[in-house]
Amino acid sequence: MRRVFLYLIALLPLVYLLTRVFILDNVNDPIKYIYTITGATATVILFFTITISIIRNKINLIKYRKEIGLFGFFYALLHLLNFIVLDAQFDFEFVVKETLDKPFIYLGMISFFIVLFMAVTSTKELFRKYNKYHKFVYLALILITIHWIMAQKAISILQFIYILVILVIGYYKLVQQIDKNN
Amino acid sequence: MNIIKKKSWQISENEVTPKELFQKRRSFIKLGAASIVASSSIMELLAKEDLPKVTLDFIKDKNPNNLKLNTYEQITSHNNFYEFTTNQSKVKDIAHTLQTDDWKVTIDGLVENPMVVDLDDLIKMFTLEERIYRFRCVEGWSMVVPWNGFSLSSLVKKVKPLSNAKYIRFETLVDPTSFPDQKRGALGVIDYPYVEGLRIDEAMNELSFLATGLYGDFMPKQNGAPIRLVVPWKYGFKSIKSIVKISFVEKEPLNTWQKENPDEYGFYANVNPNVDHPRWSQKKERVLGSFLKQNTLMFNGYENEVASLYTNMDLRKYF
Repeated sequence: MRRVFLYLIALLPLVYLLTRVFILDNVNDPIKYIYTITGATATVILFFTITISIIRNKINLIKYRKEIGLFGFFYALLHLLNFIVLDAQFDFEFVVKETLDKPFIYLGMISFFIVLFMAVTSTKELFRKYNKYHKFVYLALILITIHWIMAQKAISILQFIYILVILVIGYYKLVQQIDKNN
Repeated sequence: MNIIKKKSWQISENEVTPKELFQKRRSFIKLGAASIVASSSIMELLAKEDLPKVTLDFIKDKNPNNLKLNTYEQITSHNNFYEFTTNQSKVKDIAHTLQTDDWKVTIDGLVENPMVVDLDDLIKMFTLEERIYRFRCVEGWSMVVPWNGFSLSSLVKKVKPLSNAKYIRFETLVDPTSFPDQKRGALGVIDYPYVEGLRIDEAMNELSFLATGLYGDFMPKQNGAPIRLVVPWKYGFKSIKSIVKISFVEKEPLNTWQKENPDEYGFYANVNPNVDHPRWSQKKERVLGSFLKQNTLMFNGYENEVASLYTNMDLRKYF
């Protein structure tokens, strides 16, 4: 039951996106809108996966962590596909050139490959072998944050709030680590 | 003196249904229609009705390049107007706070005829025209807009710049009761007032335009009411909104985005598919309302009209 509920929540942004773009048809800049919704959702989900262990005493979602993480990967994949299919229109030369050329894009691309690696090694056997490398999620989260802020023309209150939330999560993670080591 | 004659097909003022009544009638019909059917053909019909009433008299643009206009809805619901918010689709919902009554424009600096003039009187001095222009934002989206207004050159001629006036500096209103972001002080997105500038010869180019309306109606607040600049061969941020001051100066003005981020935005900001923004490519653009991108044209398709302004200039250096 809880699992179904989590799936529904995780799919809500996609349903919202598809409804606005195809049914209500009231999005002026669809390519950018798809970037925004898929990117923001992937980011929030990935941050949530590292928050799960902090809140486990309040609400224990540890056994769903893998699936929640895979949803994050799913939105990151949609985000990348938007770049390749709609934005670049399958012009792979453009994709490669932009990726090597523009920091904002290669930071996003590195993050994607980290998340892809985690998704591929999330099966039972592979996870046993590779789970120590899943700590790279922290690097991905830092890069995603820079990627997102670089995509803005100017920093506004929303970005400050986002950074504040990250600092709060980071603080609790740090406390958790210190407790563990003692 | 310019006298605008009414065409035979134009109806007189007293035959026109007042705007309020017209809109009530429209929303009533919509409500009725929506409650019965929601078929796409009806929706399309209603969308067509969303055009504003033509309230201005102007010389029509024959649209020789057959540019495909963006809808009134698109143009008025996708706005970069940081004095309100950075959220492009939200500007229209909060722009009502902009106070445009008794708007005055100050024209000062190195001119023979400086003035502080009521906007209504300023508009009466010129022949209103329609200009159908491409509009390309530095962020990569674009649209085609039928503006109404008058050429900037006609205003420049009227105020007679002195020989040492080399640039024109434009300034947007500063009024925290009109613009929420101006209340935030240091937390505001950019420094106010918003400032833009043109070289005098750019301003004298026939394309440079002061717009007081679009789609035949007065300028919506979210699009920079009551008067804004339109420089179609430059990125959108040059086309400063809600202008209160036009100054003729000797030195190149420091425009807002150049001041905010000089590595990324310059004074000229000519649309140029061959010079990338440091963070993204400028080769293509996303036309509002479309999933497909199209190639961006040199000087936004106005190369014939403006390229001569920049001969012998390194457009990579003067971006």
